[in-house]
Amino acid sequence: MVGVPGTGLTRLGLKLLAEPSRVAPVVVLDTRGWISPEAAWETGVLHERLIVVRCDDLILWPKVTSALLEGVRAIYVEVPVRIGDQDLRRLAALARARRVAVAMRSLGNGLPSGIAHLRLRALGVTWEGADRGHGKLKKRRLMLEASGKGVAGVSRRFEVEDEGTDAMRVVSDVVVNQTRRAVG
Amino acid sequence: MWSLTRPDAPSGEPLLVVDDRVTGATKEVLDAGVSLGMPRREAEALAPFATVVVRDVGDETRRFEPVIATVEDLVPRVEAVSPGLLFVPVAGAVRFYGGEEELAARIVKELDVLTGARRGGEALVGIADGPFAARWAAATAQLGEPNVVVDTVSFLFGLDLGTLRESMGGDEMIDTFRWLGISTLGDLARLPRETLASRFGNPGVLAHCLASGDDRMVDPRDIPADFGVEMEFEDPLESLDAVAFAGRNLAERLLKGLRAAAVAPHSVTITAIAAHGPPRERVWRLADPFTEKALSDRIWWQLRAWVETAGVPGGIVGLSIRPSDLSGEGKQLGLLSDETSTIEAERALARAQALLGPDNVIQGRSQGGRMPGERVSWSRWGEPKSDLERDPEAPWPGATPSPSPALVPPRLQPIEVEWDGGMPTRVRMGSRWEPVLTWSGPWRLSPRWWTGERSADRYQLVTSVGAFLCVVSEGRAFLAGVYD
Repeated sequence: MVGVPGTGLTRLGLKLLAEPSRVAPVVVLDTRGWISPEAAWETGVLHERLIVVRCDDLILWPKVTSALLEGVRAIYVEVPVRIGDQDLRRLAALARARRVAVAMRSLGNGLPSGIAHLRLRALGVTWEGADRGHGKLKKRRLMLEASGKGVAGVSRRFEVEDEGTDAMRVVSDVVVNQTRRAVG
Repeated sequence: MWSLTRPDAPSGEPLLVVDDRVTGATKEVLDAGVSLGMPRREAEALAPFATVVVRDVGDETRRFEPVIATVEDLVPRVEAVSPGLLFVPVAGAVRFYGGEEELAARIVKELDVLTGARRGGEALVGIADGPFAARWAAATAQLGEPNVVVDTVSFLFGLDLGTLRESMGGDEMIDTFRWLGISTLGDLARLPRETLASRFGNPGVLAHCLASGDDRMVDPRDIPADFGVEMEFEDPLESLDAVAFAGRNLAERLLKGLRAAAVAPHSVTITAIAAHGPPRERVWRLADPFTEKALSDRIWWQLRAWVETAGVPGGIVGLSIRPSDLSGEGKQLGLLSDETSTIEAERALARAQALLGPDNVIQGRSQGGRMPGERVSWSRWGEPKSDLERDPEAPWPGATPSPSPALVPPRLQPIEVEWDGGMPTRVRMGSRWEPVLTWSGPWRLSPRWWTGERSADRYQLVTSVGAFLCVVSEGRAFLAGVYD
């Protein structure tokens, strides 16, 4: 998952933990110490099954991630900027071997090619509900671009509607771009 | 402890036995830098001259069976841990044979006879207080010279920290200990146990117990007779496939029954009734509670060993598994929970806790509050929850409405906002200014003046790159959350 803070990817990544949390503990690896479990609970993650692991140490980060991948079924991981491609590839291989569902959120410019089954890039976000002082934020639409093996190598753009509850839905396939094949 | 030799291995050549890690090697290979437990690829790179064979645990169990039977003839109720490692309770046998050294010498003598009759296998015998110390007493014994440890604590204090690796299931915590300057079990045992508990959690306490000679003891529970499971067969089972199926079925039934009682077995007794001949019985033990896979594997190894060594003449007409050494580590299976995944996740989290410290593996609980940061009560994972600071059932008028910001800084972060007639117009994002497209608020945050709080206004600001929760107090703006 690639996109600047504010584009809605954290909440989307946390939403991916909702289903696995029904059967086993799920983990958020929080690099900045900012992730709020309240948002995860709102997306349907069970309170008692969400564990937050905070790690801002670049040396320990690969070790901790690898230790978690050995045991948990689903994890949302913030990837610090200066983590090497080699470490990320090794962790991705471990996740595949252990069949762990991993949502990786890059805090930098992106992730190396070939590690993700599905790559989501945030293109923008629009909000409804607030109007020059009146109302409150209610609903947002995320514009995303998906690529990689998960979409059969066909890059496509779509919108996701999020009303702040545990229901998120894809509302439209906007563009299908068949000219680019998946790298990974 | 018994070294098993592969009958299919080329004689006199360097040999490497692997599954995904090294499980056995000849001296030449070990001299090349290979160690047990090393990843297979690394070992193959260090010893390219070695012949590599893949481990067959079932076959090892079959070849270990005569060793178990020999020892069992001398001392009843032996406990197999893995092919090659056997624990023998010696308390009663010592009186019978006249002392620990006499007993050890007798075991070595009987196994010498066995070695003479079969190809491969050498016994290392150690006697100490507790399984962990006994295992390392055997590992440091010489062939034909049993290592009878008189002072177990002193013996353990001299062992290298790496001896904990097998029991701790990983290297991370051991690496951390070494980094802290701890190199022997004695160094570790001299640290206060409370300090280790605080820094490393349960794995730290376990390591300290092992290093101090307080070996892991299960919490014995009463074992009602109906916890055991059994099957009878009209047609004797002679094929390995049928035996494996029956074993798996029994393992599932046994653990299902135990889970319902919230207990787990650390030791099981497998009994097979032969069509012609006496029943066979074997005890298997694990340090951790048996999982379905671990139990199925051991039943399969044992039954295969009996079938292939003609230990059950005429086939198997009855099978039973009885648990012993039950501990409270068993957990009730929830309707929608996967216990195996939960146990694995807890182990992974314990490793993360060992690496990062207990304050960095945390769990939140919902509580009352008006700001997003106030509405989560954090506590260390795995520790008793403290009381909530704010009543979650109270109305909390003026609370920031949902959806909640997904990113909440631990402290309010100063942020630059440009205003025009009381309306926000631009927000500084790093080096550039983003225009505010729309906003909601202000919502007044009434202060608790008696605690020194100041009044503040909250705004939800929407820009083209996202929405933010902003607090304005005394003319200064602060970031309180990002709707990411």
